[in-house]
Amino acid sequence: MSDTISDFLTDENRGVVKPVRVATGQPQRKTAVLSLHALRGWEGVLFLLALLLLWQGVSLLKFKGGYLFPAPWLTLKTLWISLPELLRGTVSSFLILVPGHLLAVAVGIAWGLLVGTSPFLHRMFAPFARFASPVPPTIYVPYAIALLPTFRTAAGFVVFIGAFWPVFLNTVAGASALPQHYRDSASILGLNRFEYLLRVVFPAALPHIFSGISVGLVFAFILLTVAELFGANDGLGRFIQLYADYADYPRMVAGILYTGVVVLAATEVLERIKRRALFWVK
Amino acid sequence: MNSTATPITRSIDNKGIEVRSLRFAYYGNAILSDVNLSIEDGEFVCLLGPSGCGKTTLLRLLAGLEKPSAGSVSWKGKAIKGPSLERGVVFQDYSLFPWMSLLQNVLFAIEKSQPQIGRKWRRQLAEDYLEMVGLAGAVQKYPLELSGGMRQRGAIARTLALGSPVLLMDEPFGALDPVNRAKLQDLVLDVWAGSTTRRTVVFVTHDVEEALYLADRVVMLGSSPGRVIHELKVPFARPRTRRTMVASSAFISLREEIDARFRQDVIARIEAETTINTPGEGV
Repeated sequence: MSDTISDFLTDENRGVVKPVRVATGQPQRKTAVLSLHALRGWEGVLFLLALLLLWQGVSLLKFKGGYLFPAPWLTLKTLWISLPELLRGTVSSFLILVPGHLLAVAVGIAWGLLVGTSPFLHRMFAPFARFASPVPPTIYVPYAIALLPTFRTAAGFVVFIGAFWPVFLNTVAGASALPQHYRDSASILGLNRFEYLLRVVFPAALPHIFSGISVGLVFAFILLTVAELFGANDGLGRFIQLYADYADYPRMVAGILYTGVVVLAATEVLERIKRRALFWVK
Repeated sequence: MNSTATPITRSIDNKGIEVRSLRFAYYGNAILSDVNLSIEDGEFVCLLGPSGCGKTTLLRLLAGLEKPSAGSVSWKGKAIKGPSLERGVVFQDYSLFPWMSLLQNVLFAIEKSQPQIGRKWRRQLAEDYLEMVGLAGAVQKYPLELSGGMRQRGAIARTLALGSPVLLMDEPFGALDPVNRAKLQDLVLDVWAGSTTRRTVVFVTHDVEEALYLADRVVMLGSSPGRVIHELKVPFARPRTRRTMVASSAFISLREEIDARFRQDVIARIEAETTINTPGEGV
């Protein structure tokens, strides 16, 4: 099995994150770089303060193009003023992001479990996956916009593609790495294929699957905001593009900061779900 | 058991596991070669051998988890074609699903083996099995929260819940400390002796004392390729006690016999290898 899985994962293991090991003493918190727990130590706070000071310092300097660095306080005030507009943008963005990502998770897991457990499907799909998965999904954006009737469907499609591969590849990796003793136990219990996939392979692959979902979520955000730079009427990427066009840099920087916070919040929510679902993993 | 059965059909029924001229090869390497073995219904047999002798492979063949390269394995006169609920297996470790609590693990087995039972009764039954192995207070615990000994108790409970007439055990206590090991050996003997229709148990071990304490009959396997080198009946009356057994002269002579047979096998193999490796030989 291990050589078949490497068919998928040789060079394009982009998006395949080493999952939390099952039953080792490693604390999983260390892997959660993007989590709020990263802020707990004083070192992290210190670094952020230093960054803030540097920003303040740069904004005070008089130099050509200094307007590109609005002062922190001004940026914060602008952020507060723009909050209603940003919230509307968030809703608009999430109406594309959430369905696209959820669909990618559902299809990626289902297809990944099937491909990861069936040598036939593996042989059938692996060559295509090797070709298609490393293609940077951003290059689909113009084509998707031309192809699909509305911007929403086009952006949703691109988000789906971007999130699908990490989820799918990680699910295949998890399903292929199913330890022999689980397979044996399942055979002894006489499970049918559906029960086997749902109650043995799926839970056993969950640590891998969650890695795929996290990577997929970050990809989804990247693709969505890139798509919005192209042709949206609303949304977070659109907000930043619009005020950059107007040279309203305080607003633009506020938009960037706000987007960062939104992504952080989304990954934090996912991290909590993961910790709940994987309570049985040491 | 069927009470109307005539003596003749009963004697056919008594025919348990039959292994005939079994060969098993893995990528051309013979793991097992010309193994013949019959195990009666209700018998407790230990497969004893050094690591690498193919005893686990033999057990997997009995379970139907592997297919013989040649020869046959049958149970009650029918060829074993694949895994079945009739032959429950306890593996060395990690066989419980860690994402299910003990209760869920056992319930899963009952759900598959006795689907006709109602939900409420299933739960009752699962709790009974867990109580039988001494885990009444831990039914909601997950494998991660349990010690190795408790996990193996859980694995035994799950296998019992399958209701299999044949129990196959693959070095189930190999990873346990001596005290837990002794406790679980007694548990297995209690389960075996206590049931109304006596189960057949095939127990793989490399521990001579364990084999002599548990088994009616010890089947010794030699390595490269794995084959039966000797079989011996264990004469001790049941119930057995470790202390008196270990001190008895019969035990000491049996153990010496076993050691001597294994030594003989090793010496014979080394001699055979040196003969073949002599330059020019066999050209």
